[in-house]
Amino acid sequence: MSTAAPDAATRATTPQATHGVRRPRMPYVLLVPAVAVLALGLGYPVYWQVITSLQKYGLAQQFGQPPEFVGLTNYTGILTDGYFWSVAGKSIVFCLVNAFVTVAIGVAVALLMRAVPTWVRIVLQVGLLVAWAMPLVAAVTVWKWLFDWRTGVVNWFLTQLGATGFDGHNWLAEPLSFFFVATVIIVWMSVPFVALSVFAALTQVPDEVLEAATIDGAGPSKIFRWIIVPMIRPVLSIVLLLQIIWDLRVFAQIRLLQDSGAPVKETNLLGNYIYELGIGRQDFASAAAVSILVLALTIAVSWPYVRSLLAEDKS
Amino acid sequence: MRILRSTALALAGVLALAACSSGTTTPEASDSSSSTDGGQTAEAADITFWVAGGDTPQELRDYLVKTFEEQNPGSTLTIEQQDWGDLVTKLTTALPDKANTPDVVEIGNTQSPTFTTVGAFADITDMYDELGGDKLLQSFVDVGKADGKNYALPYYFGSRYMFYRKDIWDAAGLTVPKTLSEFSDDVKKLRTDTMSGFAMGGQDWRNGISWVFANGGELATESGGTWTSTLSDPNTIKGLQMWQDVYQNASNLPSTERDVAYWDFLNDAADGGAPEAATIMAPSWARWSIGDLTKNDAGDEVRDGMADASKFDIFALPGVDGGVAPVFAGGSNVAISAASQHQELARNLLKIIFSPEYQKMLGGAGLGPANSDYVSSLGDDKFAKTAIETAAGSKLTPAAPGWAAIEAAFVYEDLFQKIADGGDVTALAQQYDETITPMLNGQS
Repeated sequence: MSTAAPDAATRATTPQATHGVRRPRMPYVLLVPAVAVLALGLGYPVYWQVITSLQKYGLAQQFGQPPEFVGLTNYTGILTDGYFWSVAGKSIVFCLVNAFVTVAIGVAVALLMRAVPTWVRIVLQVGLLVAWAMPLVAAVTVWKWLFDWRTGVVNWFLTQLGATGFDGHNWLAEPLSFFFVATVIIVWMSVPFVALSVFAALTQVPDEVLEAATIDGAGPSKIFRWIIVPMIRPVLSIVLLLQIIWDLRVFAQIRLLQDSGAPVKETNLLGNYIYELGIGRQDFASAAAVSILVLALTIAVSWPYVRSLLAEDKS
Repeated sequence: MRILRSTALALAGVLALAACSSGTTTPEASDSSSSTDGGQTAEAADITFWVAGGDTPQELRDYLVKTFEEQNPGSTLTIEQQDWGDLVTKLTTALPDKANTPDVVEIGNTQSPTFTTVGAFADITDMYDELGGDKLLQSFVDVGKADGKNYALPYYFGSRYMFYRKDIWDAAGLTVPKTLSEFSDDVKKLRTDTMSGFAMGGQDWRNGISWVFANGGELATESGGTWTSTLSDPNTIKGLQMWQDVYQNASNLPSTERDVAYWDFLNDAADGGAPEAATIMAPSWARWSIGDLTKNDAGDEVRDGMADASKFDIFALPGVDGGVAPVFAGGSNVAISAASQHQELARNLLKIIFSPEYQKMLGGAGLGPANSDYVSSLGDDKFAKTAIETAAGSKLTPAAPGWAAIEAAFVYEDLFQKIADGGDVTALAQQYDETITPMLNGQS
């Protein structure tokens, strides 16, 4: 990010330069604080992370023994470990499912807000904001209570409906149903942001265009597919990209659910795996190496989107 | 549309930045104010003592502060409470930091080896005899040792025994079991669809390993400085199979449960109905969460501490051939941070902790005193007697350098859950031996 900023500045000043005006230094001077803060706040930790990932760095090193440089040993160790790949695979699937479900529901809620009378919309918006503003730990705790095997409302409700086998059913015992509960929580927490962003985009779609489409005989589904979606596409892409990045680095929700009893090894996602390596096992070097790999993965997953966004922005 | 796009991009940038910074807060050492000059050792200063959890009562903390300040004129003692949950993390970041390290720390007995083996604590071998020597609880002394030197000494011990519903056992015509297999048979008989004969979560290995110890098994053994996981030892397997049998046939709890508030299961249900368990295993202090509801002096609703002896009672988990089974002992050690700038004052605090007065105060508060001379201060009712009896035979988990890593990775939780789910014990034991042995030696 620190390199992108001067580039943009260069481009902006080029036309002036060709007109023979003295190349102004001021923009660069003004950029210095921002670049310095970024370099200090993001650059240094990343540098430290890379260095640590190339060393043997454990608790003994934390207590003063000189760390030993081991090259790429940490990386080869992780990449040849089947467990890393299973965690990475689970993380990617989990992240994609969550991101797409979130965006789908978010768009549906946004369309609903557009269709309903104003007072209903305001109630909806307030509800979404409250859900969004809820502190993470509090939200997960409430969901944990809802899904509790012994006293949870979900089991009680399903039993009342006549479903059998849910009395005392433990949702967190199996990895699949564990991830289902995690998905419910994460989608619930992320939908408000998507819904409100998409709704904001929808307000930018001119009514005349929609009216014209209706007069031409387009039904609601056609209008949505061929008019609304193309017009709000930039917002949809950004929101989806953000959801993918956020859901790939999900940590706290999984950890809090694990704490109430779950098969930990089979439900670890990348964030939890890093935490276990670094904070749990005090193997700071391996934790740093996995973090770097996750960074690479995040860039790889989001790169096509970023590129298409940039291309769109240029055109 | 162009404006919309740029706004969206800018928004994305901001949010992505926020995303980068929000998740990775490093655990900070809590602000201790001990970072003064740090010149001469006995110089007056403020020292910090980290206690773990709320186990040390306020009265005892006040005593420590007052006595320390009387004996060390000009110096002060600050006691800060840390959560058990992130104690290891906080110690990892705070102990190496000369400016922010606590001077004296309480640490879980099984967490001690992780720090003693990397030189985090000061060598206090020369004080060992003065502080109690061989009178100190030896299993705790051993986990605080590295290379034959004492780094951490016992602070207090807890013990665990069985709490049961005497009324329900009596109604079923059952009496206190004499052997471990009698216990299994009894609790299996007591189980109904709505009540566990013996409530035990499947991942609860800290209670479960009592069955391993009772059968003469070990989790791991050391030879020549190398640790080997011994789950495949015939005695260990016998214990694990016995536990599998009692879990599957006497407990209604899911196999993923651990750290359960078992005492809730023993009390009458909220509407006054039958309890959810006839028997539980818990630390001695669980007594105060069990019993009928009553009002305390402040008018709050509390449990009466098992006042009705015909309804609630206790017994020690019986051994395979009678007697008492060795259970896993809870408890803490204390140690001085090697980076502390006030070694002399820290040592003075240890002298107060191991003084007869303070040891007796620990016993009076229901915490097992480190020095066996003062164990009688726990009292002489059945609770104290059973606590002393079970503590005497209790055992600890292996004092291996990688132990904390194993706990952090929930390895035994996974193993016990698989056993609880009906897995083949012999095959699982072999599989987990291969996982655990390198971890024990710190080669995770």
